Amino acid sequence: MTNKPITPGTNSFCSDEMADRGCIMPMAPRASQYGIAPEFVKKRLAEYPEMTSLTVKELFPDSPDVIYPGDKGMAGIRAAAEKALAKVDMSMIKPGQSVNILASHHGFTLLGGEPYAELLRVVYDVIAAKTGAKDIRLRAGVGLRFRETEEYIKRYKLDEHFKGKAKGMAPIDEGIAIQTEIGTLYGLKAAYDADWIIHVHNSDVREVHFHRQVDRAVKPFGMSYARIETRSTYHWNMGPRGANFTARSIFDSEFVKSKFAFAAFLDMCPSGVVGVRAENDLYALNDQLTVNGLKYYGKIMTLLGEIDECIVGLDFPCPVPYVFAAGVIYANFTGANQDLFDLEKPLPPYTWYTEAFYGKNGKPLIAGVSPMNPAIRMVVHNYAWGGYPSAFFSEHIPTIVVGQEQAELFDRDPQNLQYMSHAVTASSLDSAMHFAYETAKTDKVVIFDGAMGGINVSRSLAEMLLEKAPAVSARVDKELMPKWLKQRGIKPEKESL
Amino acid sequence: MKLISVKPVVDKDKCIGCGICSKVCPSLAITLVERKAVVNEQDCRGCGGCNQRCPVYAIEMVKLDHPYTVSVDISDLSYEAITELCQKAMLNPEQVICYCTATRAEEVAGAILKGAKSPEEISRLTGIRMGCKVECIQPILRLLDAAGIKPERPAGFQWYGLTPKVWEISEKIKAKYAEKGFYFEEDIKLLKEVVSATPERGLQNDE
Repeated sequence: MTNKPITPGTNSFCSDEMADRGCIMPMAPRASQYGIAPEFVKKRLAEYPEMTSLTVKELFPDSPDVIYPGDKGMAGIRAAAEKALAKVDMSMIKPGQSVNILASHHGFTLLGGEPYAELLRVVYDVIAAKTGAKDIRLRAGVGLRFRETEEYIKRYKLDEHFKGKAKGMAPIDEGIAIQTEIGTLYGLKAAYDADWIIHVHNSDVREVHFHRQVDRAVKPFGMSYARIETRSTYHWNMGPRGANFTARSIFDSEFVKSKFAFAAFLDMCPSGVVGVRAENDLYALNDQLTVNGLKYYGKIMTLLGEIDECIVGLDFPCPVPYVFAAGVIYANFTGANQDLFDLEKPLPPYTWYTEAFYGKNGKPLIAGVSPMNPAIRMVVHNYAWGGYPSAFFSEHIPTIVVGQEQAELFDRDPQNLQYMSHAVTASSLDSAMHFAYETAKTDKVVIFDGAMGGINVSRSLAEMLLEKAPAVSARVDKELMPKWLKQRGIKPEKESL
Repeated sequence: MKLISVKPVVDKDKCIGCGICSKVCPSLAITLVERKAVVNEQDCRGCGGCNQRCPVYAIEMVKLDHPYTVSVDISDLSYEAITELCQKAMLNPEQVICYCTATRAEEVAGAILKGAKSPEEISRLTGIRMGCKVECIQPILRLLDAAGIKPERPAGFQWYGLTPKVWEISEKIKAKYAEKGFYFEEDIKLLKEVVSATPERGLQNDE
């Protein structure tokens, strides 16, 4: 028996109707050198009859309306992008000059990737039309999978749109020194080898454990546009709350400021694309997105932190920590036993600083380190990629990997040679789930499968989330939001940005 | 310690002799001979950087018939000397400093105390920096710096240099950004606490 698909945004039902509703079917597996071949993904967690979907709007009726997914499809993205870009000053770009449109891998993992690809196309088209510039290139940075954006450039035919001037960049590529307020940092030469740069990104909060929603809009300058020295600075030299200062330092440098023309962002919320924002002043955009990020994602993250026990299903084509549910990545759920937005708390239960604070005996070196979310009784890794050091997850949370092919993929991955040392393998998803139910002694399941517009969960968990959501919503509005804003130096009146 | 389980194989017909592979190799295991990439398997630690950056996809990673491990034995070194070097680099000897290979600061410090003088040499001895090839360069450079070693940069893009640290940021800058969500002083205190922690204590979470 399989679940029937539902269309996100169209359903409105009470818990009594839960038995009749289906699941939002997740994106199909993607062919990539970082994951197993799609044919090895035999079954998805959302196919089980005991699973159901909740839309974000059902949980939080004050969630913003989205333009995508929506009736207008990609035309809605194009129209919003054109409207946002119409008010941006591009007069500094002269016809004979070169322009680098800077992109990052992350955008291509959102809602199937096409909205971000379309934004990149529109930015290209508008620059060409408004300025007469012809030498417009796409420079797409990556995380730790150095060919990931090469794959996206091909998939979305961006090399054609950019007339052959689209390429991926990796943090081990040739660098350039950038003098900053705090000293020398290093960027990727390919990112800055044009007269002007355009920063095209998205506001999905994603790695809150790293950036703590401080200067979110600036982060790629310290990451996907940066060399290894800079990225290592972020994760080793600046501290768990100061990490993103690395990105601010680079963006504030005279060198980068002299090239920066404007930024264009997909404005995201947990259920989709709210709109497109574009600004010449990145910090003005940053303030808007900081507020919106706290507002849009704060409630769902707080709600997921209320889960008392569950089995987690990983089922999306990206690395283990980045699979997501209702806009929340798994890495953040492993820290959901703590308020990750609260800057008074120095260390999330999972972040690289935390990982480095464990000694040889497997215990924290200092007091006050929260464990990985104890509500996660077991992880069923049905489908997730390598290409990101993930052994800390399987070491701290019991993990079953589905399929020998996937286990072998991790055993071959230089970043994950220890992942399977802490995990077991099941021959099928059915046997993995059977084992998980028997061992974890819970029927609550949350699936990190990137379901568009909502979250796929077991019926038992759906009922719990629906019951707890109103109180969480009120707590975020009345208690948490004012605290989060104050900690970031944002006055409450800016909340309506 | 790092398990080496794969090695690169160059397709000479595809190789265009651009040298990118040699410029990104963290263990300096690749050279160009007659405009073709040649891998020195003795020095290769199987990170796959060459495979990931070759512009013409001429390098394939293949399984080794006989996987092996590399590590530095620190049992014959003074742990006091290791601790002193780590702490000078603002690290606790038990800290994992490479998330991919789980290499701890003590092993890298041991490699330096046994004579390693560059990130490349340290990589070949310990296997560190052979996973993502990104995140661990600063702790390695900090440990070398703490030992008074100024390594010579290779000719490629392997690494460029040491970068700023939060405990070196000026008071003026700290004050400038104090209201922007950065907790510099508090983070410095936390990092120092870790550096001086006694590893044997074995705390429980949340203790």
